[in-house]
Amino acid sequence: MLRDLSLAVARGEVVAVVGPNGSGKSTLLRCLAGLVPVSAGSVEVFGAPPVDGPVFWRRVAWAADEPAWYPGLTTREHLELMRAVHGEPRLEVEAALELFGLSARADAPPLNLSTGQRQRLALAAALIRPSELLLLDEPERGLDAAFRERLGALLAGYAAAGGTVVAATHDAALATGARQVFPGNQLTS
Amino acid sequence: MNDATDARLARAFVRSRQRRPVSLLDRYVSVFMLAIAVAVFGNPVTTAVTGLAGQVDAARMGPGVALVMLALAGFLALGRAAGPVVLPAADASWLLLSGVGRRGLLGRPVRILAVITLAAGALLGLALLTALGAPDQLVWRLLAAVVLGMSASAGGMALAVLGQGSQAWQTWSTVALVAVLAVAVAAAIGPAREPLAAVAAAPAQALGAAAAGALAAAALLVRHAWTALDRIPAGTLMGAATRARHLTTAATQLDPGALTWAAEDDHWRGRRLRSRRWPSLPAPLALAWQDWRRVARRPGRLALMAATTTLPALLTQATGTAPTNLGRGSATESLTGMPDAGSLASAGGGQSAENLAGIAGGPTAENLTGIASGAVAGGGGPMEGVGALVGGLAPAALLIGGALAVAASAVAGARRDADNPALARLAAVGTRAALLARALLPALLAAAWMAAALGWLAAAGAVAGPWWAFGPLAAPALAAGALRMARRPPVDHSLPLIDTPAGAIPTGPVFWAATGPDLALLGCLPTLAALVAQPADPSGHLAAQAVTGLGALAAYAYRQKAR
Repeated sequence: MLRDLSLAVARGEVVAVVGPNGSGKSTLLRCLAGLVPVSAGSVEVFGAPPVDGPVFWRRVAWAADEPAWYPGLTTREHLELMRAVHGEPRLEVEAALELFGLSARADAPPLNLSTGQRQRLALAAALIRPSELLLLDEPERGLDAAFRERLGALLAGYAAAGGTVVAATHDAALATGARQVFPGNQLTS
Repeated sequence: MNDATDARLARAFVRSRQRRPVSLLDRYVSVFMLAIAVAVFGNPVTTAVTGLAGQVDAARMGPGVALVMLALAGFLALGRAAGPVVLPAADASWLLLSGVGRRGLLGRPVRILAVITLAAGALLGLALLTALGAPDQLVWRLLAAVVLGMSASAGGMALAVLGQGSQAWQTWSTVALVAVLAVAVAAAIGPAREPLAAVAAAPAQALGAAAAGALAAAALLVRHAWTALDRIPAGTLMGAATRARHLTTAATQLDPGALTWAAEDDHWRGRRLRSRRWPSLPAPLALAWQDWRRVARRPGRLALMAATTTLPALLTQATGTAPTNLGRGSATESLTGMPDAGSLASAGGGQSAENLAGIAGGPTAENLTGIASGAVAGGGGPMEGVGALVGGLAPAALLIGGALAVAASAVAGARRDADNPALARLAAVGTRAALLARALLPALLAAAWMAAALGWLAAAGAVAGPWWAFGPLAAPALAAGALRMARRPPVDHSLPLIDTPAGAIPTGPVFWAATGPDLALLGCLPTLAALVAQPADPSGHLAAQAVTGLGALAAYAYRQKAR
């Protein structure tokens, strides 16, 4: 449960929600995504309470759950699917595969990827589509050190292009370049 | 110390720490339950066996044998998919790579497999005799049929076991499976009718000799398989153990939905696919295209679906509920393999135009006989009418159940989005729009399957007129049912038990199993009513089906949350 938390995030900002396990990082993200109702106070995203619906998700990209994939599709086809559904992609599929180090595994079903590669695919799917707000829960999960650095640069580039990032993380490097928020300070049990 | 002793010692060690030893009371309960089973099932089995005496109509013989062969093929295919030698997951983890002798370790799973195989073989033999009939010497024919059935199942399973350790034997196992299927097809469509009639009329001694030959061949294969147990690679056994673990987990947690993903993952694991460009479609259809691509990548499953469209017609023919077999075909024609108009036999070999025109042709006096009305027209009394009604419900249930199963095979995307909505949120397509787009493929498959199955029934003379149209008209309801199945939550074990005279019924699994089929059944009621009542002119039922089919899908989509 979170209490006495006040947070305002401006467009183009990167916010790192940090703190130990159980400090409420994921809860804060789920509140921002409209997946957990707040019992007191208010949450507004783009000037309105967040609603778990297509209008909201067209503006918000969410990569927080366990990576999911459709059976029978390749890695490349998952990215093509995102491109086909959203029309105007932020990245071309080939560029995204290259950027996320998945080119060599483009024809593999996600089931056959390593844990880190699946996480890269989930992040690629979130970043290939157009969005204004990126909500990430421990995006560094399963990633090697080299790619964590690259992810920091990718998120900075997203923010520089006008997007907003709120990411719960345990990665010091990711948090360093961002505005840090500690929900644990307001945590009650 | 030999290999078998090693495994026995390891198991004894585990057992001694796992559970209390088997007591005298445990043995008494086992024997008592066995005695109860004998008392309950003894009489019906004896009645069924004595009822086998006599000749079987030649027109029923082919479809009956075809169904038995399909059952054998299905049993062997299931065995191959499972292993067939399946080591418990704990044994695979702790003992397989521990140096314990392979044959000793596999002894118990193989004995269990042998019991299951022989029991299935005995049942298949009994079914074979039901299909062929026993004009004389019932006991000897029964014995020969059971030995034949057990030999076929044991021989087939021995080939599958050999296939686990050697690619060459795996090929032979596949060849045997294809041969069984070929016999089924030949029996179903005609060419095997005359040989089957000759087999049925052959003296019992000849059948005994054939059974003895089959037994000898099966014994050779079983012996070879037993000696080859040592050569089954550990990797193969580990894979089979993983599948068994999924099955056990799903059974113990009463979560059959978990099996769907286990089977799906098992299919795609290790596969190399070739990416193809995604078509340019509106967002909901672009999202739903995933299911189309997945289905297109499983041509074997599509072929299996196409093959199963013949099952309702075969069942109708084999059980004698088709018009021909309700007293219309003359004995002379049937015995010579030339049944009268409207039978599947004639559709398969040198058939008349009337039979094949069942779909488009207008109703004729010969073709309009229904399952229930056929019994009455054939001079049957009320009991025969009831029997025919029950016989009519079976093909109807097979038709609707089969079409629902086909539809349910094409809703993996909806199932994924229900289990883990991460991708659905990234796609940002509304639930209703996504569901309606995802309904297209299951509706198309269900429509094609049911239309083809009704086409076969028309070719068999069981129905006449535009019955195939029930397929497309019932398809939306079947798609809605399949989507409801895909999106149902796991079994709710907190729901109460209902005490009945037959024992307590857990409502959680019952409600879980009914979620999906309930909507499909409701939406297909006009089709069900038409199949049971067999009206001369089904146009009224067709119109009602058009309304309930679309209504079921629209109501289902409307009731979903707007997300």
